Amino acid sequence: MLTYITRRLIQTLVVIAILSYVCFYIMTLMPGDPVEMMIASNPRITSADVARLRELYGLDQPSYVRYMNWVETVSKGDLGYSRTYKVPVTEIMGPRLWNTFVLSFWALLISIVISVPLGVYTALKPGGKLDYSLNLLSFAGISIPSFWLGILLIIIFAVTLGWFPASGTETIGFQPANFWEAMKDRAWYLFLPTISLSIQQIGRFVRFARSSMLEAMRNDYIRTAKAKGLTRNIIVWQHAFRNALIPLITVLALSLSTLFSGAILTETVFSYQGVGKLVYDSIMSNDFNVAMVSFIISVSMVLIMNLVADILYGFADPRIAYH
Amino acid sequence: MQQFKEPSAIDIKNAETAQSMWQIVLSQFLEHKMAVAGGLIILFFLTISLGADIISRVMGIDPNKQNLGARYEQPLTRIEFSQDQKEIEIENWIKANPSEASRVQKDLVEKQLVTVPEADALYDVISLPKLEALEKLKALKTVEAKSLEPIVQSFSSYHVFGTDEVGRDVFLRLIYGARVSIGVGILVAIASALMGLVIGAVAGYYGGFLDNALMRLTDALLSLPLIPVLIVVAAIDLQKVPFLNSLLPTGMESIFKMVIILCLFSWMGVARLVRGSILSLREREFVLAAKTLGAKDSTIILRHMFPNVIAPMLVSITLGVGESILFEAALSFLGLGIMPPTPSWGNMLNNAQEVIYKNIWLCILPGVMILLTVISFNFLGDGLQDAVDPKSIRR
Repeated sequence: MLTYITRRLIQTLVVIAILSYVCFYIMTLMPGDPVEMMIASNPRITSADVARLRELYGLDQPSYVRYMNWVETVSKGDLGYSRTYKVPVTEIMGPRLWNTFVLSFWALLISIVISVPLGVYTALKPGGKLDYSLNLLSFAGISIPSFWLGILLIIIFAVTLGWFPASGTETIGFQPANFWEAMKDRAWYLFLPTISLSIQQIGRFVRFARSSMLEAMRNDYIRTAKAKGLTRNIIVWQHAFRNALIPLITVLALSLSTLFSGAILTETVFSYQGVGKLVYDSIMSNDFNVAMVSFIISVSMVLIMNLVADILYGFADPRIAYH
Repeated sequence: MQQFKEPSAIDIKNAETAQSMWQIVLSQFLEHKMAVAGGLIILFFLTISLGADIISRVMGIDPNKQNLGARYEQPLTRIEFSQDQKEIEIENWIKANPSEASRVQKDLVEKQLVTVPEADALYDVISLPKLEALEKLKALKTVEAKSLEPIVQSFSSYHVFGTDEVGRDVFLRLIYGARVSIGVGILVAIASALMGLVIGAVAGYYGGFLDNALMRLTDALLSLPLIPVLIVVAAIDLQKVPFLNSLLPTGMESIFKMVIILCLFSWMGVARLVRGSILSLREREFVLAAKTLGAKDSTIILRHMFPNVIAPMLVSITLGVGESILFEAALSFLGLGIMPPTPSWGNMLNNAQEVIYKNIWLCILPGVMILLTVISFNFLGDGLQDAVDPKSIRR
């Protein structure tokens, strides 16, 4: 077990290291480095100045040297300075990560609470009307472009009905009197993005829950339990469901990366100030330090969560042997 | 539960005669109604997108023609140019083709179709309603007059789905968008399946270190959250990549870039699938027999193993098309994919959040097209999966 964990940990770290270098290299291929932007804003700049500036920022060196320099400063805890927000990157990252965490947490929770019972129910009555229509709906959930779903929700609930705000994270300039009012304000803004993000997951989860429950119900021990004359509830929830949970856990764990992918689009559509929007905005505005740090941190978090889920999987199913 | 039906004589006869594999697959597939419907919708979209040029010509509308006087028009509106706009257009045409213009003007006066001097002849014709003006031009029966027809044609146009933020026809842009979006989707699915096929086959057949390295790479790529990675990669300026800039076809750079990027991150599924089946095929007797007969590695892989993985690959290509269309749409929506003026369903939604308040249809229609296409491909894939899976054959 321990060797498995260390091996997986090393693998994950290697992936993160390679990814950060690739990302760093890609950033050098993006249009407009800092000096180019200075040239654009200052027409009287001379080529000697440009060369001097490039040397000053170290932009004349090959990418791997610059990467090593960057790693060195980052490892000292200096994440750099944001060009667009004019504050240190560390100051932006914290609240952004928290916002995304809140959004993903609620979306995941809602989608599990809705989809698992639905999946189990349809697995018990395969071929029924509900099964058929849910199958259709989950196909639609998988096929709908997530950003368009957000736009649709805005059209329906924000523009037409006016129930929820179309974009933002909290009311600007709003001074909450107490903790509950602040919560209420946040929940108000959180509602549409959460719904949008969870609908995409529900389609996927219902199908997995259904198929793993169907698989579990086919086992011999279910027949034994039935033969023993156990009640239907005990058979379904104690015998079948607990075994169906195991593959479901893997799927939930793997869905973390799709969840984060979806979060980027959802945050962008709803202008929700999460880390996904930060990654996108910083790349679009060439905010190099923010782009690097937010990308690496968010992707690493997804990878580490995957690793944790993999390890937990071993505890959920003692039959799995790790090599 | 299905009701038991007494088998007819034909059923019995069918059951007694041997069916080829593809016959079984076809009859299985036809039973999956949603898959058949999906296939028909895809066929319809493919026909329309291939015939986009013809549709554009028949409707007499140029999909890239901007008209700032008629922005955000609602669906089912007819747009007439004002007299000023008409005159500006004609003036531009006369300036661009002075010899043709004078010829047409001379003809018009000679045939007594107008009663004004030559210099004003054209302006007089276009001030008439569109059909009358066209009739007069047709009466001239000259090449020059014919070249003027499309311009007069555009003076009055009917827009089924209205117009967008610069006055282009939404219906035609959706059709041309279908060409780009579905085209990119299919291209990516096929190209990435081929990549996956090669990588999976090499890893599965040779095993050992190569297998280990390739599968680590596959796992690593599979574990990444795709959208952020795609955003970072799509932001690359391809002109800065050393040797690629000479390869790029001009005008289609963003499409080309999209295909390459999506391919790089979507071959893993097929690679795993192919590797898995080759690992089990490797131990089978017919491979051993081929080896004993002295077949080369490439012959064994190509002739003996690939036919066994084609069916599941077909399924994953079909499902891959839907996925690629979704990724392309997402990236284009973010402004990192297909670049305007080339329309794609994704980039038509690019500024949807602002457009909502101007013309709601602009935000709804492209999304409906994406949803319809992707769901069709997903159902088609699902039907194919049932059809080619021997375990699910019901007879």
